[in-house]
Amino acid sequence: MKHGKIILAALAAGMAFATVNVAKADLLDDIMKAKKIRIATDLAIPPSGMMDSAMKPTGSDVETAQLLAKDWGLQLEFIQTTGATRIPNVQTGKADIIISTLSVTPDRAKVIDFSKPYAALASDVGCLKSLNIKSWDDLKDKKIGVSRGTTQDTMLSKMTDKHLNLSRYEDDATMVTAAVSGQADCIGTSATIIAQIGKTNPARVFEPKVPITTFDLAVGMKKGEPRLMEKVNAWVEANIKNGKLNAIYKKFHGADLPPNMRGS
Amino acid sequence: MAINLDFPTVWARWPSFLDGATLTLELALMATVFGGTLGTLCAVGRRSRNSTIASLSGAYVEAIRNTPFLVQIFLVYFGLASLGLKLSAFTVAAMALTINVGAYTTEIMRAGFDAIPRGQIEAAEGLALSRFQVYWHIVLLPAMEKVYPSLTSQFVLMMLASSVCSQISAEELTAVANFIQSDTYRAFETYITIAVIYVVLSLVLRAGFWGLGLVLFPRLRRLGTPL
Repeated sequence: MKHGKIILAALAAGMAFATVNVAKADLLDDIMKAKKIRIATDLAIPPSGMMDSAMKPTGSDVETAQLLAKDWGLQLEFIQTTGATRIPNVQTGKADIIISTLSVTPDRAKVIDFSKPYAALASDVGCLKSLNIKSWDDLKDKKIGVSRGTTQDTMLSKMTDKHLNLSRYEDDATMVTAAVSGQADCIGTSATIIAQIGKTNPARVFEPKVPITTFDLAVGMKKGEPRLMEKVNAWVEANIKNGKLNAIYKKFHGADLPPNMRGS
Repeated sequence: MAINLDFPTVWARWPSFLDGATLTLELALMATVFGGTLGTLCAVGRRSRNSTIASLSGAYVEAIRNTPFLVQIFLVYFGLASLGLKLSAFTVAAMALTINVGAYTTEIMRAGFDAIPRGQIEAAEGLALSRFQVYWHIVLLPAMEKVYPSLTSQFVLMMLASSVCSQISAEELTAVANFIQSDTYRAFETYITIAVIYVVLSLVLRAGFWGLGLVLFPRLRRLGTPL
Protein backbone atom coordinates (compact mmCIF):
# COMPACT_ATOMS: atom_id res chain seq x y z
CA MET A 1 0.00 0.00 0.00
CA LYS A 2 2.73 2.39 1.03
CA HIS A 3 4.83 1.46 -2.01
CA GLY A 4 1.82 1.99 -4.17
CA LYS A 5 1.42 5.50 -2.84
CA ILE A 6 5.06 6.36 -3.41
CA ILE A 7 4.91 5.08 -6.97
CA LEU A 8 1.73 7.04 -7.56
CA ALA A 9 3.31 10.21 -6.23
CA ALA A 10 6.39 9.66 -8.36
CA LEU A 11 4.19 9.14 -11.40
CA ALA A 12 2.21 12.27 -10.69
CA ALA A 13 5.42 14.27 -10.26
CA GLY A 14 6.77 12.83 -13.50
CA MET A 15 3.61 13.74 -15.35
CA ALA A 16 3.67 17.29 -14.03
CA PHE A 17 7.26 17.56 -15.18
CA ALA A 18 6.44 16.16 -18.60
CA THR A 19 3.58 18.59 -19.04
CA VAL A 20 5.81 21.54 -18.20
CA ASN A 21 8.34 20.29 -20.72
CA VAL A 22 5.77 20.01 -23.47
CA ALA A 23 4.41 23.46 -22.77
CA LYS A 24 7.85 25.07 -23.00
CA ALA A 25 9.08 23.09 -26.00
CA ASP A 26 10.52 25.03 -28.88
CA LEU A 27 11.16 22.83 -31.87
CA LEU A 28 14.41 24.54 -32.85
CA ASP A 29 15.83 24.10 -29.34
CA ASP A 30 14.78 20.45 -29.34
CA ILE A 31 16.47 19.85 -32.69
CA MET A 32 19.68 21.59 -31.64
CA LYS A 33 19.76 19.79 -28.30
CA ALA A 34 19.26 16.39 -29.97
CA LYS A 35 21.92 17.34 -32.56
CA LYS A 36 19.62 15.60 -34.99
CA ILE A 37 16.94 16.76 -37.41
CA ARG A 38 14.16 14.45 -38.55
CA ILE A 39 13.10 15.27 -42.10
CA ALA A 40 10.05 13.71 -43.75
CA THR A 41 10.88 12.79 -47.33
CA ASP A 42 9.11 10.51 -49.77
CA LEU A 43 11.81 8.16 -51.05
CA ALA A 44 9.61 6.68 -53.77
CA ILE A 45 9.31 9.65 -56.12
CA PRO A 46 12.30 9.79 -58.42
CA PRO A 47 14.10 12.04 -59.01
CA SER A 48 13.17 14.00 -55.86
CA GLY A 49 13.52 11.10 -53.47
CA MET A 50 14.66 7.58 -54.32
CA MET A 51 17.11 4.82 -53.46
CA ASP A 52 20.34 4.41 -55.43
CA SER A 53 21.79 1.05 -56.46
CA ALA A 54 23.42 0.73 -53.03
CA MET A 55 19.94 1.29 -51.41
CA LYS A 56 21.04 4.69 -50.08
CA PRO A 57 18.58 7.59 -50.31
CA THR A 58 19.32 10.04 -53.10
CA GLY A 59 17.48 12.66 -55.14
CA SER A 60 17.00 16.42 -55.14
CA ASP A 61 14.96 16.53 -51.92
CA VAL A 62 17.40 14.13 -50.29
CA GLU A 63 20.39 16.28 -51.22
CA THR A 64 18.55 19.42 -50.14
CA ALA A 65 17.89 17.81 -46.76
CA GLN A 66 21.49 16.64 -46.52
CA LEU A 67 22.76 20.13 -47.35
CA LEU A 68 20.57 21.66 -44.65
CA ALA A 69 21.68 19.14 -42.03
CA LYS A 70 25.33 19.67 -42.98
CA ASP A 71 25.06 23.47 -42.88
CA TRP A 72 23.45 23.30 -39.46
CA GLY A 73 25.94 20.71 -38.19
CA LEU A 74 23.22 18.18 -37.41
CA GLN A 75 22.81 14.49 -37.84
CA LEU A 76 20.05 13.72 -40.36
CA GLU A 77 17.29 11.16 -39.96
CA PHE A 78 14.95 10.57 -42.88
CA ILE A 79 11.35 9.85 -41.93
CA GLN A 80 9.96 7.94 -44.90
CA THR A 81 6.59 9.20 -45.96
CA THR A 82 4.08 9.09 -48.80
CA GLY A 83 2.31 12.00 -50.46
CA ALA A 84 -0.71 11.71 -48.22
CA THR A 85 1.15 11.28 -44.92
CA ARG A 86 3.63 14.15 -45.27
CA ILE A 87 1.56 16.66 -43.33
CA PRO A 88 0.35 14.31 -40.54
CA ASN A 89 4.03 13.45 -39.97
CA VAL A 90 4.87 16.96 -38.76
CA GLN A 91 1.49 17.56 -37.15
CA THR A 92 2.00 14.58 -34.87
CA GLY A 93 5.67 15.30 -34.21
CA LYS A 94 7.01 12.22 -35.99
CA ALA A 95 9.19 14.52 -38.10
CA ASP A 96 10.54 18.03 -37.55
CA ILE A 97 10.20 19.39 -41.08
CA ILE A 98 9.02 18.23 -44.51
CA ILE A 99 11.27 18.42 -47.57
CA SER A 100 9.29 16.32 -50.02
CA THR A 101 8.10 18.15 -53.15
CA LEU A 102 5.58 19.88 -50.89
CA SER A 103 3.86 22.58 -52.90
CA VAL A 104 2.43 25.68 -51.24
CA THR A 105 -1.37 25.82 -51.26
CA PRO A 106 -3.81 27.94 -49.22
CA ASP A 107 -5.50 24.82 -47.84
CA ARG A 108 -2.25 23.40 -46.58
CA ALA A 109 -1.22 26.79 -45.16
CA LYS A 110 -4.19 26.47 -42.77
CA VAL A 111 -2.63 23.46 -41.05
CA ILE A 112 1.13 23.87 -41.44
CA ASP A 113 3.60 26.72 -42.00
CA PHE A 114 5.64 27.05 -45.17
CA SER A 115 9.16 28.45 -45.59
CA LYS A 116 10.23 30.48 -48.61
CA PRO A 117 10.23 28.31 -51.75
CA TYR A 118 13.42 26.34 -52.32
CA ALA A 119 12.36 24.98 -55.72
CA ALA A 120 9.45 25.02 -58.17
CA LEU A 121 7.57 22.32 -59.95
CA ALA A 122 5.45 22.41 -63.09
CA SER A 123 2.40 20.12 -63.05
CA ASP A 124 0.78 18.82 -66.18
CA VAL A 125 -1.53 16.17 -67.43
CA GLY A 126 0.91 14.03 -69.38
CA CYS A 127 -0.21 11.38 -71.86
CA LEU A 128 1.30 8.91 -74.24
CA LYS A 129 3.13 10.84 -76.94
CA SER A 130 1.10 9.14 -79.66
CA LEU A 131 -2.23 10.42 -78.27
CA ASN A 132 -3.67 13.51 -79.93
CA ILE A 133 -4.59 15.56 -76.85
CA LYS A 134 -4.35 19.32 -76.76
CA SER A 135 -6.96 20.65 -74.36
CA TRP A 136 -9.20 19.77 -71.43
CA ASP A 137 -11.93 18.85 -73.93
CA ASP A 138 -9.73 16.10 -75.35
CA LEU A 139 -9.30 14.72 -71.83
CA LYS A 140 -13.02 14.43 -71.20
CA ASP A 141 -13.94 10.97 -69.81
CA LYS A 142 -10.38 9.77 -70.33
CA LYS A 143 -8.83 7.89 -67.45
CA ILE A 144 -6.23 10.06 -65.70
CA GLY A 145 -4.03 8.47 -63.07
CA VAL A 146 -3.07 10.61 -60.08
CA SER A 147 -1.28 10.03 -56.82
CA ARG A 148 -3.89 10.29 -54.07
CA GLY A 149 -3.72 13.37 -51.85
CA THR A 150 -1.28 15.30 -54.03
CA THR A 151 -2.12 18.83 -55.15
CA GLN A 152 -2.68 17.52 -58.67
CA ASP A 153 -5.33 15.16 -57.29
CA THR A 154 -7.03 17.93 -55.32
CA MET A 155 -6.98 20.41 -58.21
CA LEU A 156 -8.20 17.95 -60.83
CA SER A 157 -10.88 16.64 -58.43
CA LYS A 158 -12.29 20.16 -58.15
CA MET A 159 -12.61 20.54 -61.94
CA THR A 160 -15.97 18.80 -61.95
CA ASP A 161 -17.12 20.77 -65.00
CA LYS A 162 -14.39 19.16 -67.11
CA HIS A 163 -15.75 15.62 -66.57
CA LEU A 164 -12.40 14.07 -65.79
CA ASN A 165 -12.20 10.41 -64.90
CA LEU A 166 -9.58 10.18 -62.13
CA SER A 167 -7.97 6.96 -60.93
CA ARG A 168 -6.30 7.57 -57.59
CA TYR A 169 -3.25 5.48 -56.80
CA GLU A 170 -1.70 5.30 -53.37
CA ASP A 171 1.64 6.88 -54.28
CA ASP A 172 3.67 8.07 -57.25
CA ALA A 173 5.40 4.72 -57.66
CA THR A 174 2.08 2.92 -58.13
CA MET A 175 0.83 5.62 -60.48
CA VAL A 176 3.99 5.35 -62.60
CA THR A 177 3.63 1.57 -62.72
CA ALA A 178 0.06 2.07 -63.93
CA ALA A 179 1.36 4.34 -66.70
CA VAL A 180 4.14 1.94 -67.66
CA SER A 181 1.99 -1.19 -67.63
CA GLY A 182 -0.77 0.39 -69.67
CA GLN A 183 -3.41 0.78 -66.96
CA ALA A 184 -3.36 4.55 -67.51
CA ASP A 185 -2.53 6.45 -70.69
CA CYS A 186 -2.72 9.84 -68.98
CA ILE A 187 -1.41 10.96 -65.61
CA GLY A 188 -1.68 14.20 -63.69
CA THR A 189 1.66 14.83 -62.02
CA SER A 190 4.89 16.83 -62.14
CA ALA A 191 6.64 17.52 -65.43
CA THR A 192 9.69 15.74 -64.04
CA ILE A 193 7.88 12.45 -63.52
CA ILE A 194 6.22 12.68 -66.92
CA ALA A 195 9.63 13.07 -68.57
CA GLN A 196 11.12 10.29 -66.44
CA ILE A 197 8.75 7.57 -67.65
CA GLY A 198 9.97 7.56 -71.25
CA LYS A 199 13.61 7.51 -70.19
CA THR A 200 13.28 4.17 -68.48
CA ASN A 201 10.55 2.77 -70.75
CA PRO A 202 11.15 3.72 -74.37
CA ALA A 203 8.10 1.69 -75.35
CA ARG A 204 5.76 4.10 -73.56
CA VAL A 205 6.97 7.70 -73.84
CA PHE A 206 4.82 10.28 -72.05
CA GLU A 207 4.88 14.00 -72.68
CA PRO A 208 3.17 16.96 -70.99
CA LYS A 209 -0.09 17.70 -72.82
CA VAL A 210 -2.23 20.06 -70.73
CA PRO A 211 -0.63 22.27 -68.06
CA ILE A 212 -2.30 22.23 -64.64
CA THR A 213 -0.20 24.79 -62.77
CA THR A 214 3.26 25.61 -61.44
CA PHE A 215 3.80 25.09 -57.75
CA ASP A 216 6.33 26.59 -55.43
CA LEU A 217 7.97 23.89 -53.33
CA ALA A 218 8.71 24.84 -49.76
CA VAL A 219 9.84 23.35 -46.48
CA GLY A 220 6.83 22.51 -44.32
CA MET A 221 6.68 22.52 -40.55
CA LYS A 222 4.24 22.50 -37.67
CA LYS A 223 2.41 25.76 -37.04
CA GLY A 224 3.79 28.17 -34.45
CA GLU A 225 7.55 27.61 -34.69
CA PRO A 226 8.75 31.12 -35.63
CA ARG A 227 12.40 30.59 -34.64
CA LEU A 228 12.75 27.44 -36.71
CA MET A 229 10.97 29.17 -39.60
CA GLU A 230 13.36 32.12 -39.47
CA LYS A 231 16.38 29.84 -39.55
CA VAL A 232 15.02 27.76 -42.44
CA ASN A 233 14.17 30.91 -44.43
CA ALA A 234 17.65 32.32 -43.94
CA TRP A 235 19.10 29.01 -45.09
CA VAL A 236 16.89 28.87 -48.18
CA GLU A 237 17.72 32.46 -49.13
CA ALA A 238 21.45 31.89 -48.77
CA ASN A 239 21.41 28.73 -50.85
CA ILE A 240 19.25 30.19 -53.60
CA LYS A 241 21.73 33.06 -53.78
CA ASN A 242 24.86 30.90 -53.94
CA GLY A 243 23.22 28.70 -56.58
CA LYS A 244 23.52 25.45 -54.60
CA LEU A 245 19.78 24.73 -54.68
CA ASN A 246 19.64 25.30 -58.43
CA ALA A 247 22.62 22.98 -58.89
CA ILE A 248 20.91 20.23 -56.92
CA TYR A 249 17.69 20.71 -58.90
CA LYS A 250 19.48 20.64 -62.22
CA LYS A 251 21.47 17.56 -61.32
CA PHE A 252 18.32 15.49 -60.81
CA HIS A 253 15.59 17.18 -62.87
CA GLY A 254 17.67 18.07 -65.92
CA ALA A 255 16.34 21.65 -65.96
CA ASP A 256 17.05 24.92 -64.18
CA LEU A 257 14.76 26.45 -61.58
CA PRO A 258 12.70 29.50 -62.69
CA PRO A 259 15.00 32.51 -63.44
CA ASN A 260 14.38 34.26 -60.11
CA MET A 261 15.63 31.19 -58.22
CA ARG A 262 18.87 30.52 -60.08
CA GLY A 263 21.16 32.54 -57.83
CA SER A 264 23.65 35.16 -58.80
CA MET B 1 -0.75 18.21 -26.44
CA ALA B 2 -4.52 18.60 -26.62
CA ILE B 3 -6.11 17.16 -29.73
CA ASN B 4 -8.76 19.20 -31.45
CA LEU B 5 -11.30 16.88 -32.97
CA ASP B 6 -13.47 18.27 -35.71
CA PHE B 7 -15.87 15.57 -36.84
CA PRO B 8 -18.47 17.72 -38.67
CA THR B 9 -15.93 18.69 -41.38
CA VAL B 10 -15.33 15.03 -42.06
CA TRP B 11 -18.94 13.93 -41.73
CA ALA B 12 -20.00 16.54 -44.29
CA ARG B 13 -18.49 14.13 -46.80
CA TRP B 14 -20.93 11.36 -45.86
CA PRO B 15 -22.02 10.64 -49.47
CA SER B 16 -18.41 9.71 -50.27
CA PHE B 17 -18.21 7.48 -47.18
CA LEU B 18 -21.45 5.82 -48.23
CA ASP B 19 -20.15 5.19 -51.76
CA GLY B 20 -16.97 3.70 -50.34
CA ALA B 21 -18.80 1.47 -47.88
CA THR B 22 -21.12 0.25 -50.66
CA LEU B 23 -18.17 -0.65 -52.85
CA THR B 24 -16.44 -2.44 -49.98
CA LEU B 25 -19.57 -4.45 -49.33
CA GLU B 26 -19.96 -5.27 -53.04
CA LEU B 27 -16.35 -6.45 -53.20
CA ALA B 28 -16.86 -8.58 -50.09
CA LEU B 29 -20.04 -10.18 -51.43
CA MET B 30 -18.52 -10.98 -54.82
CA ALA B 31 -15.40 -12.45 -53.25
CA THR B 32 -17.52 -14.49 -50.80
CA VAL B 33 -19.65 -16.03 -53.56
CA PHE B 34 -16.88 -16.68 -56.08
CA GLY B 35 -14.11 -17.35 -53.58
CA GLY B 36 -16.36 -19.71 -51.61
CA THR B 37 -17.19 -21.67 -54.74
CA LEU B 38 -13.59 -21.73 -55.95
CA GLY B 39 -12.36 -22.82 -52.53
CA THR B 40 -14.91 -25.62 -52.23
CA LEU B 41 -14.00 -26.95 -55.68
CA CYS B 42 -10.29 -26.82 -54.86
CA ALA B 43 -10.90 -28.60 -51.54
CA VAL B 44 -12.56 -31.40 -53.48
CA GLY B 45 -9.61 -31.27 -55.89
CA ARG B 46 -7.03 -31.51 -53.12
CA ARG B 47 -8.66 -34.72 -51.87
CA SER B 48 -9.00 -36.10 -55.38
CA ARG B 49 -7.44 -39.47 -56.24
CA ASN B 50 -6.19 -37.86 -59.46
CA SER B 51 -2.70 -36.75 -58.38
CA THR B 52 -2.42 -33.98 -61.02
CA ILE B 53 -5.59 -32.24 -59.79
CA ALA B 54 -4.54 -32.76 -56.17
CA SER B 55 -1.10 -31.24 -56.66
CA LEU B 56 -2.45 -28.36 -58.77
CA SER B 57 -4.90 -27.44 -56.01
CA GLY B 58 -2.12 -27.83 -53.47
CA ALA B 59 0.20 -25.54 -55.43
CA TYR B 60 -2.52 -22.88 -55.68
CA VAL B 61 -3.16 -22.96 -51.94
CA GLU B 62 0.53 -22.79 -51.05
CA ALA B 63 1.26 -20.01 -53.56
CA ILE B 64 -1.56 -17.80 -52.29
CA ARG B 65 -1.26 -18.49 -48.58
CA ASN B 66 2.48 -17.77 -48.61
CA THR B 67 2.45 -14.42 -50.44
CA PRO B 68 1.12 -11.06 -49.25
CA PHE B 69 -2.24 -9.94 -50.59
CA LEU B 70 -0.77 -6.61 -51.71
CA VAL B 71 1.71 -8.42 -53.95
CA GLN B 72 -1.07 -10.59 -55.38
CA ILE B 73 -3.25 -7.62 -56.23
CA PHE B 74 -0.34 -5.80 -57.92
CA LEU B 75 0.45 -8.95 -59.90
CA VAL B 76 -3.10 -9.18 -61.20
CA TYR B 77 -3.53 -5.44 -61.84
CA PHE B 78 -0.21 -4.68 -63.52
CA GLY B 79 0.44 -8.17 -64.84
CA LEU B 80 -2.79 -8.38 -66.83
CA ALA B 81 -2.29 -4.85 -68.16
CA SER B 82 1.22 -5.71 -69.36
CA LEU B 83 -0.31 -8.63 -71.24
CA GLY B 84 -2.69 -6.18 -72.90
CA LEU B 85 -5.78 -6.98 -70.84
CA LYS B 86 -7.05 -3.75 -69.30
CA LEU B 87 -9.64 -4.40 -66.63
CA SER B 88 -11.15 -1.83 -64.32
CA ALA B 89 -9.71 -1.50 -60.84
CA PHE B 90 -12.97 -2.85 -59.38
CA THR B 91 -12.88 -6.01 -61.52
CA VAL B 92 -9.25 -6.62 -60.63
CA ALA B 93 -9.94 -6.03 -56.94
CA ALA B 94 -12.82 -8.53 -57.00
CA MET B 95 -10.68 -11.06 -58.88
CA ALA B 96 -7.72 -10.72 -56.54
CA LEU B 97 -9.94 -11.02 -53.46
CA THR B 98 -11.60 -14.11 -54.97
CA ILE B 99 -8.27 -15.77 -55.69
CA ASN B 100 -7.02 -14.91 -52.21
CA VAL B 101 -10.01 -16.00 -50.17
CA GLY B 102 -10.42 -19.07 -52.39
CA ALA B 103 -7.10 -20.46 -51.13
CA TYR B 104 -8.04 -20.02 -47.48
CA THR B 105 -11.50 -21.47 -48.11
CA THR B 106 -9.85 -24.52 -49.67
CA GLU B 107 -7.99 -25.31 -46.47
CA ILE B 108 -11.01 -24.68 -44.24
CA MET B 109 -13.31 -26.80 -46.40
CA ARG B 110 -10.68 -29.56 -46.58
CA ALA B 111 -10.73 -29.72 -42.80
CA GLY B 112 -14.51 -30.02 -42.97
CA PHE B 113 -14.36 -32.86 -45.48
CA ASP B 114 -11.73 -34.65 -43.40
CA ALA B 115 -14.02 -34.46 -40.40
CA ILE B 116 -16.80 -36.50 -42.06
CA PRO B 117 -16.53 -40.04 -40.62
CA ARG B 118 -16.13 -42.76 -43.23
CA GLY B 119 -18.98 -44.67 -41.60
CA GLN B 120 -21.44 -41.86 -42.32
CA ILE B 121 -20.81 -42.19 -46.06
CA GLU B 122 -20.99 -45.99 -45.89
CA ALA B 123 -24.33 -45.75 -44.07
CA ALA B 124 -25.67 -43.46 -46.80
CA GLU B 125 -24.48 -45.85 -49.49
CA GLY B 126 -26.12 -48.67 -47.54
CA LEU B 127 -29.41 -46.73 -47.76
CA ALA B 128 -29.01 -46.70 -51.56
CA LEU B 129 -28.66 -42.91 -51.86
CA SER B 130 -27.36 -41.81 -55.23
CA ARG B 131 -23.78 -40.54 -55.56
CA PHE B 132 -25.02 -36.95 -55.86
CA GLN B 133 -27.30 -37.32 -52.83
CA VAL B 134 -24.41 -38.73 -50.78
CA TYR B 135 -22.10 -35.92 -51.83
CA TRP B 136 -24.60 -33.13 -51.25
CA HIS B 137 -26.45 -34.23 -48.09
CA ILE B 138 -23.92 -36.47 -46.36
CA VAL B 139 -20.57 -34.87 -47.24
CA LEU B 140 -20.76 -31.28 -48.48
CA LEU B 141 -23.43 -29.68 -46.27
CA PRO B 142 -22.35 -31.36 -42.99
CA ALA B 143 -18.72 -30.55 -43.80
CA MET B 144 -19.63 -26.93 -44.39
CA GLU B 145 -21.71 -26.82 -41.24
CA LYS B 146 -18.79 -28.10 -39.17
CA VAL B 147 -16.44 -25.37 -40.40
CA TYR B 148 -19.05 -22.65 -40.85
CA PRO B 149 -17.72 -20.42 -38.02
CA SER B 150 -14.15 -20.49 -39.40
CA LEU B 151 -15.47 -19.93 -42.89
CA THR B 152 -17.51 -16.88 -41.97
CA SER B 153 -14.71 -15.28 -39.96
CA GLN B 154 -12.40 -15.81 -42.94
CA PHE B 155 -14.89 -13.93 -45.12
CA VAL B 156 -15.13 -11.09 -42.59
CA LEU B 157 -11.32 -10.92 -42.48
CA MET B 158 -11.33 -10.75 -46.26
CA MET B 159 -13.78 -7.83 -46.19
CA LEU B 160 -11.36 -5.99 -43.89
CA ALA B 161 -8.40 -6.92 -46.12
CA SER B 162 -10.21 -5.35 -49.08
CA SER B 163 -8.91 -2.03 -47.73
CA VAL B 164 -5.69 -2.91 -49.57
CA CYS B 165 -7.58 -2.46 -52.86
CA SER B 166 -7.26 1.31 -52.37
CA GLN B 167 -3.71 0.87 -53.69
CA ILE B 168 -4.84 0.13 -57.22
CA SER B 169 -7.37 2.98 -57.32
CA ALA B 170 -10.48 0.96 -56.44
CA GLU B 171 -12.53 3.62 -54.63
CA GLU B 172 -13.54 1.52 -51.64
CA LEU B 173 -13.92 2.77 -48.07
CA THR B 174 -10.22 3.15 -47.24
CA ALA B 175 -9.49 4.86 -50.57
CA VAL B 176 -12.29 7.33 -49.88
CA ALA B 177 -10.90 7.94 -46.39
CA ASN B 178 -7.37 8.48 -47.71
CA PHE B 179 -8.70 11.07 -50.11
CA ILE B 180 -10.87 12.86 -47.54
CA GLN B 181 -7.99 12.83 -45.10
CA SER B 182 -5.63 14.40 -47.62
CA ASP B 183 -8.23 17.00 -48.57
CA THR B 184 -9.37 18.03 -45.08
CA TYR B 185 -6.18 17.18 -43.16
CA ARG B 186 -8.44 15.66 -40.52
CA ALA B 187 -6.68 12.30 -40.45
CA PHE B 188 -7.65 11.18 -36.96
CA GLU B 189 -11.35 11.99 -37.38
CA THR B 190 -11.47 10.36 -40.81
CA TYR B 191 -9.93 7.10 -39.72
CA ILE B 192 -12.03 6.94 -36.54
CA THR B 193 -15.08 7.35 -38.77
CA ILE B 194 -14.16 4.55 -41.14
CA ALA B 195 -13.10 2.30 -38.27
CA VAL B 196 -16.66 2.59 -36.96
CA ILE B 197 -18.06 1.98 -40.45
CA TYR B 198 -15.90 -1.14 -40.77
CA VAL B 199 -17.25 -2.43 -37.45
CA VAL B 200 -20.79 -1.86 -38.70
CA LEU B 201 -20.00 -3.63 -41.99
CA SER B 202 -18.55 -6.58 -40.05
CA LEU B 203 -21.69 -6.82 -37.95
CA VAL B 204 -23.86 -6.64 -41.08
CA LEU B 205 -21.84 -9.44 -42.69
CA ARG B 206 -21.98 -11.57 -39.53
CA ALA B 207 -25.75 -11.15 -39.31
CA GLY B 208 -26.01 -12.08 -42.99
CA PHE B 209 -23.93 -15.23 -42.52
CA TRP B 210 -25.97 -16.19 -39.46
CA GLY B 211 -29.16 -15.96 -41.54
CA LEU B 212 -27.57 -17.85 -44.43
CA GLY B 213 -26.53 -20.58 -41.99
CA LEU B 214 -30.15 -21.05 -40.92
CA VAL B 215 -31.19 -21.39 -44.58
CA LEU B 216 -28.38 -23.76 -45.53
CA PHE B 217 -28.41 -26.09 -42.56
CA PRO B 218 -31.84 -27.53 -41.63
CA ARG B 219 -30.32 -29.34 -38.65
CA LEU B 220 -29.06 -26.08 -37.19
CA ARG B 221 -32.40 -24.39 -37.88
CA ARG B 222 -34.38 -27.07 -36.05
CA LEU B 223 -32.04 -27.81 -33.15
CA GLY B 224 -30.18 -24.53 -32.86
CA THR B 225 -27.13 -26.28 -31.41
CA PRO B 226 -23.65 -26.14 -32.85
CA LEU B 227 -22.43 -29.30 -34.52
